[in-house]
Amino acid sequence: MKSFQEIVLTLQDFWSREGCAIVQPYDLEKGAGTFNPATFFGALTSTPTRAAYVEPSRRPADGRYGDNPNRLGKYYQFQVILKPVPAGITDLYRKSLRALGLDLKEHDLRWIEDDWESPTLGAAGVGWEVWLDGMEVTQFTYFQQMGSMPLSPVSVEITYGLERLAMYLQKKDDVYDLDYGGGLTYGDLHKKQEREFSRYNFETADTALLSRHFNDWETEGVRLVGLGDPLPAYDCVVRASHLFNTLEARGAISVTERAHYIGRIRSLARKVMELYIETRTPKASAAEAA
Amino acid sequence: MTAKTADFLLDVHTEPFPARFVAPALEQLKARSAERLAGRIEHGEIAAYGTLRHLVLTVKAVAAKGSDKTERFKGPKEQAWRTPDGAYTPAAEGFARKHGLAAGDLCAEGGILYADVRTKGCGAAALFEMMIPELLKSLQFPKSMIWEASGFKFGRPIRAITALYGEKIVPVALAGLKSGRAVYGHPSHSKVSMPLKTPADHIKILREEMVLADPVERREYLLRQLAAAAQSAGGRPEWDEELVDETVFMTEHPTPVVGRLRPEHMPLPAALLKMVMQKQLKFFPVVGADGALQPAFIGVRDGLSSGNALVREGYQRVLEARFNDAAFFFGRDASATLASRLSSLERVTYQKALGSVAQKASRVAALAGRLGSELSRIVPVDEAVVAGAAKLVYADLVTDVVKEFPELQGHMGGVYARRDGLGDALAACVEQFYFPVGAGTALPSSTEACVVSLAGKLDSIAGCFAAGMIPTGSADPYALRRQALGVVRILLEKGLAVDLEAAVSQAVALQPISAAEPLKLAAQLLDFIWGRAASLFEEEGVRIDEVRSVRLGGLKDLSGARRRLDALRAVRRDPAFEPLAAAFKRASNILKQSKGLADAVIPDRTKLRHWSEIALYDALVEVEAAADQRLKHGDYEGALKILVAVKPHLDRFFDNVMVMIDDEGLKSQRLAVLGKLVRAFTRVADLSEIQASAP
Repeated sequence: MKSFQEIVLTLQDFWSREGCAIVQPYDLEKGAGTFNPATFFGALTSTPTRAAYVEPSRRPADGRYGDNPNRLGKYYQFQVILKPVPAGITDLYRKSLRALGLDLKEHDLRWIEDDWESPTLGAAGVGWEVWLDGMEVTQFTYFQQMGSMPLSPVSVEITYGLERLAMYLQKKDDVYDLDYGGGLTYGDLHKKQEREFSRYNFETADTALLSRHFNDWETEGVRLVGLGDPLPAYDCVVRASHLFNTLEARGAISVTERAHYIGRIRSLARKVMELYIETRTPKASAAEAA
Repeated sequence: MTAKTADFLLDVHTEPFPARFVAPALEQLKARSAERLAGRIEHGEIAAYGTLRHLVLTVKAVAAKGSDKTERFKGPKEQAWRTPDGAYTPAAEGFARKHGLAAGDLCAEGGILYADVRTKGCGAAALFEMMIPELLKSLQFPKSMIWEASGFKFGRPIRAITALYGEKIVPVALAGLKSGRAVYGHPSHSKVSMPLKTPADHIKILREEMVLADPVERREYLLRQLAAAAQSAGGRPEWDEELVDETVFMTEHPTPVVGRLRPEHMPLPAALLKMVMQKQLKFFPVVGADGALQPAFIGVRDGLSSGNALVREGYQRVLEARFNDAAFFFGRDASATLASRLSSLERVTYQKALGSVAQKASRVAALAGRLGSELSRIVPVDEAVVAGAAKLVYADLVTDVVKEFPELQGHMGGVYARRDGLGDALAACVEQFYFPVGAGTALPSSTEACVVSLAGKLDSIAGCFAAGMIPTGSADPYALRRQALGVVRILLEKGLAVDLEAAVSQAVALQPISAAEPLKLAAQLLDFIWGRAASLFEEEGVRIDEVRSVRLGGLKDLSGARRRLDALRAVRRDPAFEPLAAAFKRASNILKQSKGLADAVIPDRTKLRHWSEIALYDALVEVEAAADQRLKHGDYEGALKILVAVKPHLDRFFDNVMVMIDDEGLKSQRLAVLGKLVRAFTRVADLSEIQASAP
């Protein structure tokens, strides 16, 4: 039986053999692997991309003080981004499950319609959630839009829910009982963190400070866009987005304010994307040379 | 016709379609290919079948060569484009060229020039080669996507195209693919493709590769297997048409797997357990002969393995995790009574223009109170139950279980009302508030539950109409048609004597937005509700002219309208009836022309002159009195049969007198007699709406 870390190593090894760059997690707090620049910027232009990585993801509102066997405020996604999309991509995904030790004849693999949308990134995609014997273990998305712009060529994003997959493979009903590897359980490594961060996100976070920082990073992002550097400006989007998630978990955002916050992040994200495309497409560099 | 024919097959192999995409795509595939082939080539039966990964079209016995065709295009008048010396003008030459002809080929007929264009039929393979890309482009899906460089749009990515005419590949290049003869089986069972030799082998090859390609066969197989699986678990599968349809297009080889429910979960409400199984996991609950939930479920896997042990274990674990979640929410809901939740409804918006759910609840309570007290004059109504229930119908919207499973609204309210000790009668009203939820489904059981449910529906319809949210065409986001149909079904099937005209104006008056023209709004609402009643009657086989004839007063007493229809249909079989209807229409038209001249005039026998009008008057007095007796007992058929007896008198009246004469006094008397006639009949049916049957 594979430990949590062996599952990660197997997926990394598998996708590395398929020609992916195994990039590292991005060093900012974020809600999902899609925020990693390898995906966010990787999907934007026509340059081919093949990358895979583990991404620690934070959803402050999903924390349960370490008491719920299925819910976590911080967890890990394994993300694959491919552009152009290989013709046999669903077969390739099946092959990755076989690499994890699953004999697919013995299992029920179902593809359930589940389109993806990120209002803060103005992004949308078409795809499935993949059910392994009824358990949702993967999100499979063909990106169609980013920053409200149609994408061409499109990318496919495969997101394995590592904890779900491990619980399935190890036949565990409680995430904290997972064998992590190195003689540790997932609980040994994460239970205290879940408890303390739940307290922080739900009870003790200084909301005045957080909303001040939200404003600061928004202002800084707009300034950096003006200076023409999309990557530092993008960090401001990621930071503002996480601050918003924390404020929301803390109950500091009303329904009407919520739409306003999302609009501000989306507008900044759009500016960053436009700048990125402008500075990265060959036509733009030709114009610069002239 | 050529004797040589061959079959055609197209198999579009895709990544998994959402189940709901497949059946409509197959229908389109069949219909649109039939349109495209019509008149262009001789062919036999066209069929479409498939799965979530295959859209398949077959055409039997296609001729080797298409039909030759001559198409005629109309040109100008001959004299305009031909000089007197017989030469063609440059415009005429242009017209000919446009159709690939020389001016001399144009054909003159009746002074007009025509271009007759002959096209030779092309070979079958070439025809399909042209048709396939355009056919696939024409398919419409609920949502389309792109996935490769050419930007081809389709419901899901296409991964292979198999196209054969006879044993020959029909070459097609599309979405970065080239067609071939490879056929792909079930992805979990066969890793390599199989070559298809001829179209006839297709279904057989797929079956060997674990794919039941024909949806009809797959459905039969599923139902048989489901029944057997449920029997082994001591019951039958809970019938769920939607889930059966979805499963047919969610699996290529459906295999039921039986699992058990743990005893600690059985105390949860059965509806909650079923909802988790059906909606969250797409499992079939197992019920006993009495309909009671058994401690078993059936999941349908895609594929097959000996024993399915791992699948069963996985299903079991997922189901238990979901049940634990549901139990957690159900437990949390125990912390507050329904009544104590009412204040939270103030913070839930119903519709921006129509206020909070709390405000809606108080409107429903007010309307239910009035309906209940009016009905209580005719049938026993426990008004305290109506009042108590009407306040609580929306309280479950703020419970955790309903937030998680919105489909359980109403049902959970009933469960919680019983738990709060409010009694079965009241709990049933809350539980059945949204009944009927679909065509042919159960109605609220008690009179009290009907009253509360009617009030809720009438308030929704009145509110949405007042706020301008009126259903158009297929767009009915607030399900107002379904609610209006619910109103109609409750009144008809329960035989409740509710005056909808009065109820609708009360519902309109209770709305927080005052309509600019409340009378017009009420009339619009009544037409809307009548529309549902009319469609229901028509579904039962009533003719549209008959439905129209009972419109007047139809909504004051809907059950009465149905009895009037029955009477009309019974009497209509009498051959004398339709001629009477024609004479009645004449009377009614004359009254319309007179523009209400004699509406207030009561006919006076002493002022009538001609024997035929006196005879008609006497006959009317006699039959009206007799008909009244029948109507008092609700015998519409008896009344109508009696009224029909005036027919010969009416005929003689029209044969002998003119109504619209200069003598104003006599004219108004004659109009008054006709008015009396029309009023007498209209209590049963307005015969002027009756259209003569086709001979």
